[in-house]
Amino acid sequence: MSQKIDKNRLSPKKLRIAAFLAVMGPGMIAGLSDDDPAGIATYSVLGANYGYQLLWVLVISTIALIIFQDLGARIGVVTRQGMIGLIRQKYGARSGTLSAGALILANIGTMTAEFAGIAAAGQLFGLSKYISVPLAAILVSYLVLRNSFARVEKIFFLISAVFIAYIIAGFMAGPDWGSALRGAVVPTMPFTQDAIFIATATFGTTLAPWGLAFIQSYAVDKRLTRDDLKLLRVDVWTGSLLTGIIGIFVVVTCAATLHKNGIQINDAADAALALEPLAGTLAKELFAFGLIGAALLAASILPLSTAYSVSDLTGRPAALDDSLKEAPLFYITFAAITGLSAILILIPGAPLIKILVFTQILNAILLLPLLIYMYGISKDKVLMGEFVSSKKMRVIYGVIISIVAIAICCMLWFSFN
Amino acid sequence: MKKPPKTSINTVAKRLVGRSDLALARKSIRESLVSVAGLIGKPVKYQGGNEIGRLIDVVVKHGIDSYPPVSGLIVKVGHSKSFIDGARISKLTQNEIQLSTSKVDLTEFERRDGESLLDADVLDHQIVDVNGLRVVRTSDLYLAPLDREIRVVGVDISFKAFVRRIFPGVLGRGPIPEHVIDWANVASLAFGTGVVRSTQSRSALGQLRPADLADLIEDLAGRERSALIEMLHPDLAADALEEMEDDALQGLLRGLPSEQSAGLIARMEPDEGAEVLRDLNDDHRESIFQEMENSVAKQLRKLVEFDETLAGGIMTTHILTTHEEDTVASALKLLVENKDRDISDGIVVVDAKGRLLDHIQIIELVAAKSSAKLSTLVGPPFPTSVGINDRLDEVIKEFANNRGSSIMVVDEKNKPVGRILADDLVDALASTSESSGFAQGSGALQ
Repeated sequence: MSQKIDKNRLSPKKLRIAAFLAVMGPGMIAGLSDDDPAGIATYSVLGANYGYQLLWVLVISTIALIIFQDLGARIGVVTRQGMIGLIRQKYGARSGTLSAGALILANIGTMTAEFAGIAAAGQLFGLSKYISVPLAAILVSYLVLRNSFARVEKIFFLISAVFIAYIIAGFMAGPDWGSALRGAVVPTMPFTQDAIFIATATFGTTLAPWGLAFIQSYAVDKRLTRDDLKLLRVDVWTGSLLTGIIGIFVVVTCAATLHKNGIQINDAADAALALEPLAGTLAKELFAFGLIGAALLAASILPLSTAYSVSDLTGRPAALDDSLKEAPLFYITFAAITGLSAILILIPGAPLIKILVFTQILNAILLLPLLIYMYGISKDKVLMGEFVSSKKMRVIYGVIISIVAIAICCMLWFSFN
Repeated sequence: MKKPPKTSINTVAKRLVGRSDLALARKSIRESLVSVAGLIGKPVKYQGGNEIGRLIDVVVKHGIDSYPPVSGLIVKVGHSKSFIDGARISKLTQNEIQLSTSKVDLTEFERRDGESLLDADVLDHQIVDVNGLRVVRTSDLYLAPLDREIRVVGVDISFKAFVRRIFPGVLGRGPIPEHVIDWANVASLAFGTGVVRSTQSRSALGQLRPADLADLIEDLAGRERSALIEMLHPDLAADALEEMEDDALQGLLRGLPSEQSAGLIARMEPDEGAEVLRDLNDDHRESIFQEMENSVAKQLRKLVEFDETLAGGIMTTHILTTHEEDTVASALKLLVENKDRDISDGIVVVDAKGRLLDHIQIIELVAAKSSAKLSTLVGPPFPTSVGINDRLDEVIKEFANNRGSSIMVVDEKNKPVGRILADDLVDALASTSESSGFAQGSGALQ
């Protein structure tokens, strides 16, 4: 068998690396796609408005991301079922449908935000949104629908490389690392509506519902087995940490430039533009370039995550290696989400801001039940067998869920007052 | 490993659907279907019409019957879940259940072996659709009176049935007959655990090709996966395992108890079994050997020792050895006794010291006089043979020169120890090219 002969050829160290590369993917891709345009925008605003002060929010978000992505990946591998299917099985048809419905709605909104990111970044390079958005929609559909699983995954990795742009931009901005470290470890919070909103948004964009649904389904589609769990954990930790680090660099860049000069911004493209006079044209271009890459990655993952969830709810096949004929529902969902969002962004006069705000609130509200369902599944002995969560982990899950719940309550309270 | 003749999916489906012994083929049953999803929450009443409580779940017993009978009801009485024996049901309609008595002893519900709860264990859970060769989710289940009992006769996996369950109230809780699949054409994985299983679903699964079963097994995990394997005839399960991807199979064996793994591996072709065992870690392999019959374990231990780039590592040890002084009749008898083994296309003849003389095809035996001694049949063309420690490329060279479908493997003393069939060679070559990265990915990155 393959491994046998490999052993004769490869040193144990190389073999370990090869084994890791084969497992790598779910954590990396699900994590990094959380740094989407909405995420970059949120981090930019966080940095521009509050400097280094709220960096700790990102640190906690990253820890929460690690913990729950790890759980999601494990549930996927152990049960071989996606999140929505498990919710249907364990909590009933209505809970499953309600979760899937909210997820679809939120995903269409988020997908629209990704296209908005592409449109804005395209405009920075002088490209009309009527060209950049359809182009991106076609590109993403072609990538995911016309390629094998292995190839799609490799292209995802390739796109992810653009995130280095943010790290370079961060160094170019010449931040005050001492203040950054203090902001990251000392939690202080101005108790204003704006600050709580941005802190909650940071939580919601890092720990996105579609990301949680995605990692579970993707681990199933990748056909990872229980033996891969150790390596998968390395993948999830690396991916989530990288996600957090990139976020921190975005905050630091904006803190060192925009915040220092008292410039207020609304989105990531604003940030890129405002960077130009402060950190140079290259910094602006790096920022915009990173934005396009981030948007493309997320725009590939979002419809995919939705397609997995819908197939999962109805118990129909969902795999990237299936043909259109084998898994029609899977591919139709993918196309519908992509098409609908592209149209939404291109309709002149569409209430984009309202859609985006509504999406953010919906994502935040949806996050809470999903985390609770995941918690419930994690302690279900029948489903998880020997991988059932330990008492210690349950406490940690509980703490994170409580933090998310408090943040959401504060946000809702401010929203409706 | 030889595959059974390929039956196309369509023929299997036609055969199953067209079977007149299916419950749903009877009009009376088709017309009296009661939806389980629609029944949950409906009142359960005494003979006089007084309500006892609301239905929470339906308990069925899965034993030797093709269509599992209802063995009881779980009813919410006040705040407790009470069990009512299925024998007391006098009338079951879509809107209510009536008992034949005016008083029952309400007992707290307790799970018993061989029983499943239709709402909690089967509805919305994964189920194997034998015709569609896929794992789907149950949208609804249907009960109907059959053979003096109320039984599960049908299952609905359609999206429509699922959607109508989500909406509250009366939105068409009745069955949609054209979507109902006969219970005999599915295998509920909730029914797999425990020793008893439905013979019908077993035979339905039994009509699948091992390769399709392997795909189904790979699609499942944990309890469902073990359930499916338990429901298969062990020989078929072993065949399916042979068809699985190496990694998936390794993972599967790690999840099974050693006793079950031992039973399955012992039923595999020895060379395939050895290949599987070779990749397990020492402790696991040893624990599986402990559960095996001594003779089987001994044979497999020997095979596991061989390097799989050598002839001994890819050969099968299933050979029928006869002495040159034996008669044709006894050789034929031996073949008949071993007819279940795939490789009985001939016999190996050895001399008094056990050294290889010839491999005689079955056709030669049939043509010869039954009282003749085998030595009279020994003659050219003699079988090609390779040494047990010959390398793979030498085996290929011998195969290419000789153009036969198999070659013999002998030890240092020229005693036959096994045979390499063409498909063993193909397997060995396939795994060599896989490791050089030529194989196409089937999902995971290679």
